[in-house]
Amino acid sequence: MRLAQIAGGTLLAAALFATPAVAAPPSADARGWLGEELPLPLAVRTPQDLAVKAAAEKEYLIFNLLAGGKLAWDGGDFSTAATKWEALLKIHPLDPELEKTIRPLASEARSRAAGRPAAEAAPLATPPSTPPTTMPPSSTLVAPSSPVAPANPTVSVSGTVSGGGPLGPGGAVIWLKRANGETPRPAPARGKVISQRGKMFVPHVLVVPVGTRVAFRNDDPIFHNIFSLSKPNEFDTGLYKQGATYTETFRHPGAVQLLCNIHASMFGFVVVVDSPYYAESDASGAFNMKGVPPGEYELQVWHEAAAKPTVEHLTVGAGGVRGLALRVAGDKRAPQFVPDKSGKPRQAHLGY
Amino acid sequence: MKRVAVVVVVLFCGARAFAQPAPPATAVPPPEAEPEPINDSDGYTPAVEGAGAPSPLSINGYIDVGFAKAQGDGTSFAPNDQSIPADYGVDTFAPAVNSRGDVASTNSNGRFVNGFLPRSVGIGGNASFLLNTLDVDLKYAPASAPLMVFSRVQFLPRFTGSGDETRVYVEQAFGRLVPFDSQEFALAAGKFDSVFGIEYLDNEANIRTGVTPSLVARYTTGQSIGAKLFYRIQIQPLQSAVSLNVSATNSGNFVESLQPPDASLTGAPVGAGRLGYELNTPGIQVKLGASGLYGPRNDQAYQAAHQKAFGFDARVAVAGVYLNAEYVHVDEGAGGPKTTSLGNFPISSTFNARGGYVQLAYALPLSVGALHKLTVYGRYDRRHAWFEGFTPITVDRFTGGVRIDLWEALILKAEYLDNRELAGAPTVANNVFTSSLVYSW
Repeated sequence: MRLAQIAGGTLLAAALFATPAVAAPPSADARGWLGEELPLPLAVRTPQDLAVKAAAEKEYLIFNLLAGGKLAWDGGDFSTAATKWEALLKIHPLDPELEKTIRPLASEARSRAAGRPAAEAAPLATPPSTPPTTMPPSSTLVAPSSPVAPANPTVSVSGTVSGGGPLGPGGAVIWLKRANGETPRPAPARGKVISQRGKMFVPHVLVVPVGTRVAFRNDDPIFHNIFSLSKPNEFDTGLYKQGATYTETFRHPGAVQLLCNIHASMFGFVVVVDSPYYAESDASGAFNMKGVPPGEYELQVWHEAAAKPTVEHLTVGAGGVRGLALRVAGDKRAPQFVPDKSGKPRQAHLGY
Repeated sequence: MKRVAVVVVVLFCGARAFAQPAPPATAVPPPEAEPEPINDSDGYTPAVEGAGAPSPLSINGYIDVGFAKAQGDGTSFAPNDQSIPADYGVDTFAPAVNSRGDVASTNSNGRFVNGFLPRSVGIGGNASFLLNTLDVDLKYAPASAPLMVFSRVQFLPRFTGSGDETRVYVEQAFGRLVPFDSQEFALAAGKFDSVFGIEYLDNEANIRTGVTPSLVARYTTGQSIGAKLFYRIQIQPLQSAVSLNVSATNSGNFVESLQPPDASLTGAPVGAGRLGYELNTPGIQVKLGASGLYGPRNDQAYQAAHQKAFGFDARVAVAGVYLNAEYVHVDEGAGGPKTTSLGNFPISSTFNARGGYVQLAYALPLSVGALHKLTVYGRYDRRHAWFEGFTPITVDRFTGGVRIDLWEALILKAEYLDNRELAGAPTVANNVFTSSLVYSW
């Protein structure tokens, strides 16, 4: 077992180190767990070798499922995390301590994967803090020079949106959903703020992943009362004065129209997406989406001037997609009457 | 299996630990933070001016067509009533058939008609399709100035030959200035909506819940030329606001469809105002108001003849249920000879009206194909009015209807008006079925 410990531990730690996610701020290219792809080159010449390999493989499997689940969790892919940890719990026999740690996490991941709002779920707790007395310092485990071929590479999808009628193509929101299989659940964004400035929403259009909290900050010297009637993301800030902030968590995908109960001329949008693969076009229509694994996708484009989103099939190859030309309609006019928060339409030209 | 537990600890203590100096063995690293999304966005805000900026000019409008059928001959005159003097204040009970308050007919069969003469679509008792209003709104609001210019022009085609003439009506044309960023304070000058009561707020076919206006709308929702001021102050601890809306105009608030709505001939303005209170909690919105009006009569130069009015209004919205209620008290004093757009008349008798309505509507938001919203509504109106020297006439009306919002631009409305003469006039079959199809752009 000592041999298995060393071999397995070294290789796995090397794999973890080689994964950018553990050595640098997470990026799109670091979401996969390489351990599943690595060979376990243990020669088998004797019955003892076979026993060692079998033991090593079991430990290797345990570690892969454990680490793969954790990385999937970190990436917001709760479904994958749940699958891996549930598979881990099926290994028999399993260390009771490990089972005690993982079982609630697997349950939590499954709950999140089922759509329960992440914000409501308990945060991933630090497991029982058994001091790593038997574990050598991590620095002694890693093997930076180990040749590790990247697996599950991700690429970029970029292009230009055109159309949008008189508003132009700026502010189009582009996102991808996997055509086959489940799209990973995105991690909520942090630090998102929509300011009310000059009786306008700044930014006018903001795309966020589901579960993101957005702060509405009043930077005007007058009161605002921001609300939305866009179900199921409706909310109402109530009156709040200059400098005050109201925070709302957007838990469901869809376009959320922002309005002010005091100022009928104000409107903006939060577009909530349930995919980590999204982008927003700039004023020229250009967009760039990172971290997309090659594969088949359904691409959707939302724009405030389009009555319906553009939907296309997109194949993302190993080299990514560049120069993608998308078009949004300009067939939807700004509403003539915006409602107050009771849903009653108002004539904006009255000014109240 | 201790090793497994150790691996768990290492994994969940934060992956960065693998690339950093090992922490002290006894330290408990903090939980790992959630990673940032791959494709974080700061959002998009269009340029204020230039390419991609919203146009400062917007052109909207609507077309309102309908189908209506009034009982009898559409006039509310009883067929066999030969009262002498055979005169009625027609205004007091002629029923409306469309969104403008036009009546089916004003044909009096030669009888003298006193009082206001409503606009007529001239369909009599025939079931007829109507082209009620073609409306075009222009709004110019430059981003660089706290100024807005607005105009509303309406084309009113009338083809029957027996009703009113086809006309183009400039309903509104005004400029509005918001001089202070820190205040809800606006000044407007030009021709604009009344500030009296609440019915002017949704007095167009594409915004009103039902088809027809109330029985008192003709006294409160007209447009005049002048200046007005709006001020509102928010009271945050109470989730409330208090507002004041006042105007000085060249006429009172009688509507264009009720002839004659002409301007004051004295040169003195008519003052009007409304003091309002709003409660705007997330669950319930309540708006209350008291309005008043005082000034010279519209139709003559006699200085001592005044018009005055006051009223109270209430609106409550909760859980998709909307309650609107309004009471109006109108008095026009006696004057000398009057001059209107219809001609010169030797006498202007006093006119008095008291009336109001209560409307209850329930709006059910839907998302079934094109079906956007379904609203059912009912309204009760009552009005007691009289001209000096003539019998006061009391009428009431039950209105029930349904409104269907299709897509975001099409509204289909249908309603039935049960009109009753309670006192002062013979009972006559003058109920109305009317409907409206409104397309907005």
